[in-house]
Amino acid sequence: MDDLEFRRRVFADPNTTDKDVTEAIRQDSEKAQLKSSLQGLDAKLSQAVKVPVPDDLAYKLIWQQATAEFNHHKKRSRWFIAMAASIAFVIGITGTVIYQYQPVDMGGEALAHVRHAEMELPGLPVEVGLQQVNAKLAGFGGSFSAPIGDVAVANYCHLNTTLTLHLIMNTEQGKVSVFVVPHKGRMSMPDSFSDEKYHGESWSMMKADIMVVGDKNADLEPVMKKVKRSITFSA
Amino acid sequence: MSSQVYSDMRAKQKRYEALVHAFHGDIYRYAYWLTRDSTIAEDIVQETFLRAWRSLDSLNDEKSAKSWLITIVRRENARRFERKQLDLVDIDDVHVADDAFHANAESDHEELRILISRLPTDYREPLILQLIFGFTGEEIAQQLDLNKNTVMTRLFRARNQLRDMLGQEDTNLRGRSNG
Repeated sequence: MDDLEFRRRVFADPNTTDKDVTEAIRQDSEKAQLKSSLQGLDAKLSQAVKVPVPDDLAYKLIWQQATAEFNHHKKRSRWFIAMAASIAFVIGITGTVIYQYQPVDMGGEALAHVRHAEMELPGLPVEVGLQQVNAKLAGFGGSFSAPIGDVAVANYCHLNTTLTLHLIMNTEQGKVSVFVVPHKGRMSMPDSFSDEKYHGESWSMMKADIMVVGDKNADLEPVMKKVKRSITFSA
Repeated sequence: MSSQVYSDMRAKQKRYEALVHAFHGDIYRYAYWLTRDSTIAEDIVQETFLRAWRSLDSLNDEKSAKSWLITIVRRENARRFERKQLDLVDIDDVHVADDAFHANAESDHEELRILISRLPTDYREPLILQLIFGFTGEEIAQQLDLNKNTVMTRLFRARNQLRDMLGQEDTNLRGRSNG
């Protein structure tokens, strides 16, 4: 091994135990001296590079990690709550909008109403006159030009959110309800509808839909005819 | 379920603390020799260990943990230069006043520390890896992404320059006390 190569090797790593370096030292005392002097320097360097480490560094590192983890959790849970709130909000809005845009099944509403009205209906002895009925119908811009029969009750009521006029009539077919439903919003108006107790039919007029509901077996035709013949709406 | 999570967290915490105790000293020293500034070194070490916590699951054995930490220290140090490129003066370009050195050089350690800090970073860094971590030329080459010959050349030059500087200091001192 030539001088230059030897110097390169021991300067790069004074503590090398490479065979050829060891061999070169054995043969040349100057080389041995150089290596040993470099080893001496390295021992000093090894001490010198050990600069003092701040006493509390390890504890700082552990503490900062715990703090960061805590903040991370806090941030994450805050984020989570905000997200959950946003999702709940969107679901709420969407639900409301969908609910509102869903066409209301007026047939079902009418049946439910009749079912309910029957339970509450008092034994009203007094017939409601045509004038009274017309006074109420005027609110929808309509009127009956001729009596339609024995009207027991004439009341405004809500089918879902739609204000309607509900007439309960005593007929040969039993109690028959007539609903005057002004056109409004999204409604689905089935031509006929029924449940286990009642059935009903409807038709559409210029300003309103008319629904007639009676007992399952009642013939609604007579009432429908009378209403169709008699009712008019002003333009 | 939650007690399982809790005990997992405890286990992770323990591993982290073990990692800190095992490596923080040498990692701090390495950062110090990269930056030659104890405050910046401490900042870098803190950032490095925060990252270590997040990647703790992948730091499985001592060797890879050490190498990983060194890599992060280097990256954090490089980021510092990116951030402060405009207003940072590289100390390599500034001549450290010899008077200051002589006034404070009370021990061999301090004398050598000043000389080491004057080495160009390219020479200083492999030397520090060798002296602090006991890395072989091969390991240094891997860590710094250099080939082994380059590393050996830089180590040679580092010690060569240190010896030169030591010789000069001797001459200067003699000159001073004589004059």
